[in-house]
Amino acid sequence: MSTDIGVWIAAFLTLGILSFLYKDNPFYKVSESIFIGVSAAYWFVYMIYNVIEPNLLGNLQKGEWWYAVAGILGVMMLFRLIPKIGWLSRWAVAFMIGTGAGLNFIVYLQSNVMKQIRGTLAPLNSIGNIMMIVGVITGLIYFFFSAEHKGLLGGAAKVGIWFIMVSFGASFGYTVMARISLLIGRMHFLFSDWLGLLH
Amino acid sequence: MDTRFWTKEKCKWRRKVLPLTAFIILLALWGTIRAQSPVDTLPPSPPTEVTAFDTPNDAGKNITINWKLSTDDGAGRNIVKGYDILRSESQEGKFEVVGSVVAGISTFQDDKVKNRRNYFYKVRAKDHTSSDSPTVGPVQASGQWYHKGKTVVLIFVVIFTALVIYFVESAKKGKKLYVRPIPGMDAVDEAVGRATEMGRPILYILGLSTISDVATIASLTILGRVAKKVAEFQSKLLVPCYNPIVMTVAQEVVKNAYLDAGRPDSYDESNIWFLSSSQFAYAAGVNGIMLREKTATNFYLGMFYAESLILAETGNIAGSIQIAGTDAVTQLPFFITSCDYTLIGEEFYAASAYLSREPKLLGSIKAQDWGKAGLIALIILGGFFASFHFDTFINLFTVGH
Amino acid sequence: MRRQIPLAITFIGGVVMIIQYFIPHQISQEIYRGVLDWQMIVGGFVLVLGIGSLVTHHTEKVKRQKEGWGYSLVALLGLVMMAIAGLFFGGMASDKPFMQIFIYAQNPIQATMFSLLAFFIASAAYRAFRARSFIATLLLLAAIIVMIGRVPIGAKIWSPIRVISNWLLDYPNMVAKRAIGLGVGLGMLSTALKIILGIERSYLGGGK
Repeated sequence: MSTDIGVWIAAFLTLGILSFLYKDNPFYKVSESIFIGVSAAYWFVYMIYNVIEPNLLGNLQKGEWWYAVAGILGVMMLFRLIPKIGWLSRWAVAFMIGTGAGLNFIVYLQSNVMKQIRGTLAPLNSIGNIMMIVGVITGLIYFFFSAEHKGLLGGAAKVGIWFIMVSFGASFGYTVMARISLLIGRMHFLFSDWLGLLH
Repeated sequence: MDTRFWTKEKCKWRRKVLPLTAFIILLALWGTIRAQSPVDTLPPSPPTEVTAFDTPNDAGKNITINWKLSTDDGAGRNIVKGYDILRSESQEGKFEVVGSVVAGISTFQDDKVKNRRNYFYKVRAKDHTSSDSPTVGPVQASGQWYHKGKTVVLIFVVIFTALVIYFVESAKKGKKLYVRPIPGMDAVDEAVGRATEMGRPILYILGLSTISDVATIASLTILGRVAKKVAEFQSKLLVPCYNPIVMTVAQEVVKNAYLDAGRPDSYDESNIWFLSSSQFAYAAGVNGIMLREKTATNFYLGMFYAESLILAETGNIAGSIQIAGTDAVTQLPFFITSCDYTLIGEEFYAASAYLSREPKLLGSIKAQDWGKAGLIALIILGGFFASFHFDTFINLFTVGH
Repeated sequence: MRRQIPLAITFIGGVVMIIQYFIPHQISQEIYRGVLDWQMIVGGFVLVLGIGSLVTHHTEKVKRQKEGWGYSLVALLGLVMMAIAGLFFGGMASDKPFMQIFIYAQNPIQATMFSLLAFFIASAAYRAFRARSFIATLLLLAAIIVMIGRVPIGAKIWSPIRVISNWLLDYPNMVAKRAIGLGVGLGMLSTALKIILGIERSYLGGGK
C-alpha cells in the first residue's frame, strides 16, 4: 500500500468520481466541487503564464506595439462588468466572431469540401468505388432540406441514412475498446499504485 | 644495468614486427594506387539544364533550383555521391555552398535569401572530384499576392456566396420556401411544454467550443428561439457555460428572447453562468446539475468531444428528454444512441433557420441545397473522368499545388 | 451605433481572414498569425469574467445557504488555494504546490471522469440493443461486427470477421463520413457567410 499522501488523495478522488456510477452522493459531490474549483484556477494561472505573459507582454516588450490592440480588446471584454459601458464589449466579441467565421469558412471549405470531393472522385472500376460514389450521393440527398423526401428523392435519402447508421455503428464499435482501456488505466492506478496489490 | 637481455629481445621483436609492418604499408599503398586508378580520377559529368526561379505561391525569401541529374548519377559510371548548391551575388563572384542533397535528387529550395536581390547559382556534382554546371541567374525572390493553386477554391467561394445572397434576397422579396421537417426541432415546443407541466427546468448546453466556432453561433441562435419559448411558457432555463465569452453572449441572447416574449422581468442572469473551462470538470458539473435539478429536457447543441456520451447517458439516468445536434462527426454515434432526437451535421446548421422561419435565414438553406446538387454533379462527372484517366479534372480539387 | 460598429467589425474581420487565405505574401501570413494570437489574448482576459461568474454563483449559494452550499464552499476553497499556489508559490514548476495539486487532485479526477465512458458506452450499447427500428438494427449490427473484429479473440472464433470489420470501416463508414462532412461543410459555409454579411446577428442580442 502506498505511503505517499498524494497517492491517497488521488485514490480518494478517483473513488469519489467512480461512486457516481452507483448514484449521486456526497463523496462524488465533494470530488466534483474540488475539480470545478481547482480546474478553474488552473486555467486562469495557465493563461497568465502561457498566453498573457508571452503573447501579450512578451510581444509588447519586443516593440510589437500592435499587440496593444489585443490588450485593448481584452480589456473591452471586461467592460461588461460596468453596466454603463458594457456595450463596448460587443466590439471585442464582434472581432472574435468575425475573424472566427472567416477562418472557419476557409478551413471547412478546404477540409470538408475540397478534400472530401477529391477523395470521392474515383474511377468506376470496382464495387468499392461505385459504392463510395452511390453512398456519398445518397448521403448528400438525405441532407436536402428544400424538397420533400418523397418518391425517388425519398428512396435515395433512405439509402443515405442507412449508410450513415452503419457508419455510426462502425465508429461506435471502433471506440469501445479504447474506452475500456481508459478504465483499465484507472483500475491499475487503484490496485497497483495505491493498494500495491498488482505489480 | 644489464642491457644485453633487452637488446636481444628488441632484436627478436624487430624480426617479427618489421615484416608485418612492411606488409601493411604495401597493402595500403596498393589500395591507394587502386583507388587512384585512372578511371576514377575523371570527374562526373556536370548537372545540366539548371534553372533557378522565385518559388511560386509563397511568402518570399525563397528560391527554387532545379536541374537535370548528371549522366553519371544512377546511370553511366554511377559515381555521383550528391550535389552541392552554390550561390553568389554576382556572376563571377565568390560562390558559396548553400546546401547539399544526395544523389538522385534534382531540386533544392534556398530559403536563406533576401527578397528583391540578384542571386546566381550553380550546381556541383560530387564524387572524389567534382564538376560544376554553368552559372544561372540573376534570379530574385519575392512574396506573391495571389496563390495560383487556390483558384478553384476562389471560384467556389464566389459561386457559393452569390448563391447565398441570391436566395436570401429572393426570400426577402417574399418567395415561399419549403423546408422539410427536422425531427428534433419539431419537438422543441413539446419539450418545453413538458418541462413546464412537470415544474422542472430545461438545461441548454452550448457545446465546448469558443465563440469563434461557427457551431457555437448556430447553437446560440437556437438558444434564442428556445429561450423565447421558455419565457412564454414561464419555465426555467439553465445554461452552464464552458467558455466565458460564450457565456456573455448567451446572457445577451436569452435576455433579448425574454424581452421579445414580453417577459423581461422573468429573466434571471444567474441561470447562465460559467461552469468550467476544463472538459471533464464541465462534464462532472453538468452531471451534477442534471441529477440534482432533475432537468426535464436537455439540449446539447454545438461542438462536442469525448464528454458527449458522459452527458447524454447521465441525462438518460435522470430521465430527461434529450435533443442533441452537432457537426462533430465522431460524437454523433453516441448522441444517436443516447438521445431522443439528434440533428446530424448539416441538420444542426439548418435547425436555427428552421426554428426561426425567417425568410432571409431560410434562403440560405436553399443555397446549401444548390451547393449539394452541384457537388453531386461534380462527383458523377468526376467518376466518369477518373474512369477515363482524365486526371486534369481531378487534380483541380487538390488545393495548394 | 451599438449594433452598426460590431457588425462592421465582424464583416471586416471575416473578409480579411478569407482574403488572407489566397495571399501567400508575408504580410498576409503575419496578419493570420497576429489574429490567432489576438484571439488567444482576448480568450485569456475573459477568463476573469468566467472566474467572476463562478465565484458569484457559488458565493450566492453560500450566502443564502441554499441546498448544497457546503459543496460550493469546497469549490471556492479549491479555486482560491490553486490560484494562490500558482500565483505566489513558484508558478508552474513541476515540484511546486500548483503542479502537485494538478498531479494528485485534478489529473486523477480528470482521468476517472474520462474512464466513466467505459460504463456509459456499455449502457448506450444496451439501449441500442433494445431499439426495434430497422436503422437502429443496422447501427447495432455494424457496431457488433466492428467490435468483435477488433479484439483478437474475434478472429479466433470466426476468421472472416476481421475482414468484414475492416471493410465496414473502410467503405460504408468512410462514405457516410464524407457525406456528413460535405453537408457540414456547406452548412458551416453558409452560416459563416450569414454571420459575416450580417444576416445572422442574433448573437448581438438586443439594443440599439
